[in-house]
Amino acid sequence: MEELMLGIGITAIAGALATVAGAAEDTESDIGSQGDPNSQVQLAPQMGYIHRIFNKAVSGEPPAYGLWCALGAGLAWALMAMQLNPILALILGSALAVFVQGVYCVTAYLGRTASLAKFEQPVYIDILKSVTTVTMAHAFIAIFTTVTMCHLMNTALGHPFPLPLLGLVWGIALGAAGSATGNPFYGKERQYQNYDFGAGTPISASGDIVRYAEAGDRSSLDNGWFTSKLGGPASGVCFGLIVFLELWRTVLFEEWGNGWGAIIAGVILVLIFTAIDRYIEVYARKTFGPYGAPEAVEEETSTEAST
Amino acid sequence: MSALGGAAGGAEGFSSPVGLIGGIILLILSFVLAFYFGAMATVWILLGVVIGGVLIGFGVHFVPVGGAPAAMGQAPGIATGVAMLAAGAGLAGLFGGAWAAELGLGLALAGGAIGGALMMAITCMMVNVIYVFGMGIPAASGKVAKDPITGDTFPEYKSQGSEGHGLPFISYVGGVIGGFFAGLGGSLIYLMLLDIYEQTLPDILGASAESIVPLAVSLAGIFAIGMFLVNAVLSAYNITGTIEGPHDPKFRRVPRAMIASAVASAVCGIIAIMIIFVGV
Repeated sequence: MEELMLGIGITAIAGALATVAGAAEDTESDIGSQGDPNSQVQLAPQMGYIHRIFNKAVSGEPPAYGLWCALGAGLAWALMAMQLNPILALILGSALAVFVQGVYCVTAYLGRTASLAKFEQPVYIDILKSVTTVTMAHAFIAIFTTVTMCHLMNTALGHPFPLPLLGLVWGIALGAAGSATGNPFYGKERQYQNYDFGAGTPISASGDIVRYAEAGDRSSLDNGWFTSKLGGPASGVCFGLIVFLELWRTVLFEEWGNGWGAIIAGVILVLIFTAIDRYIEVYARKTFGPYGAPEAVEEETSTEAST
Repeated sequence: MSALGGAAGGAEGFSSPVGLIGGIILLILSFVLAFYFGAMATVWILLGVVIGGVLIGFGVHFVPVGGAPAAMGQAPGIATGVAMLAAGAGLAGLFGGAWAAELGLGLALAGGAIGGALMMAITCMMVNVIYVFGMGIPAASGKVAKDPITGDTFPEYKSQGSEGHGLPFISYVGGVIGGFFAGLGGSLIYLMLLDIYEQTLPDILGASAESIVPLAVSLAGIFAIGMFLVNAVLSAYNITGTIEGPHDPKFRRVPRAMIASAVASAVCGIIAIMIIFVGV
């Protein structure tokens, strides 16, 4: 019973750490413009829209976070093998991994922006100075929480994978969850904030991203402020649920039915999420209704204007 | 006709029989090498690895991936790359499978499969949460007019100038199935390699079975992750860009990916096996 209680406690802590990691990962990727929406940041100058948005698609988020978390976990593991205090080892390992992330940020921004020179996109040194450190700070939170979570899985829950391997596995999963959930909010809702709410971005609008703020040019830091209101927390909930429920069903139900209890619990969870998803889909169709035909909308607008 | 003047590449089949024949030769050669190094038991291990790789390649095609267009609400699917998303799901499954390895093959495989399916179920649901509650956009497919499962119609829910958006129910189900097969395949590769390492490494290194476990687990884990990525990337090349799920016409390309995954897994698998026998 005591072991079970400890397992549930560790599961809760791991879930909380994963939630923070997911939120920090998405906010970092939005401030640094790491994920798929960066295609528009890269495209904008080619369409004549010069901007001051950071541009650092080092790679897709999953392999990038796979690398950084494996690096942080590997260094922490090595430091622990040298008898260093585990907490200090986790902090130092994550901090060293963040320096690698910072180097990638700088080279990616300089390389990507310099490649746009013929479209007259300048390299802004003040952006490099002000944004890089902010992405590094968010990346540190994401890496540290993920590596700490992996350490708990390894030492307290007894997962057979060594710490660096767990860092790689959960780093990739973190990037996958964060990019899947957070990318649309940054890509559609922020970059194309000037376009109608409640509709996909017309393909013809590609590259016409938001470049101006309430006063002056829009900064990538503003993008972090915007997406941290929904995209970041939603990514955190997504990754937190993945980690928490994966551990929870195993810790709590593995003793039932010679281990099949955890499988049955997993199947039930999948069915519950499927029902929720279907409810959301139907809710959207009923609430928002179908889009009107373009002609009908135009006629309606002209009628309203004349009256 | 291609841009270079040659015949256009096959959309669903192999464009060149040379590639197919070469692949089959590599596959047979890998099994012959497995038999040469470790008799019939090693052949079964390699067969398990190959089946695992094929399951990953098959599963990846179910995953609805919209890439950059989905991030702008210009196309349906999940806004990230094919290989990356599949790897995220499959590796989450591998985590579960490895944890349950001590409980037997069937339970470990089921644990891996359900782990992958659960990861995809949560991720796909959160995609729709963001689209609906954050952006006010209903789900609409760009490839079919009606959802094959629910019967929902899509053309009137597709905003002007886009190819659809969000995750229709068929894509959600495809994502869960994809995660299931990816987790199953990744776990099978891991368990097969763990089995051979645990059997052979104690003799090779002259150590006890207990002391060899961390090394065996690490080696099997690294090779399983590596082979997972090989098969996921291979399938991503077969998909070329984005796919909505099992209802997408691109899904018909899946046999080609399964053959390619079998060959790639056999070659990677024999290297993972030979690494211990060559060291003798």
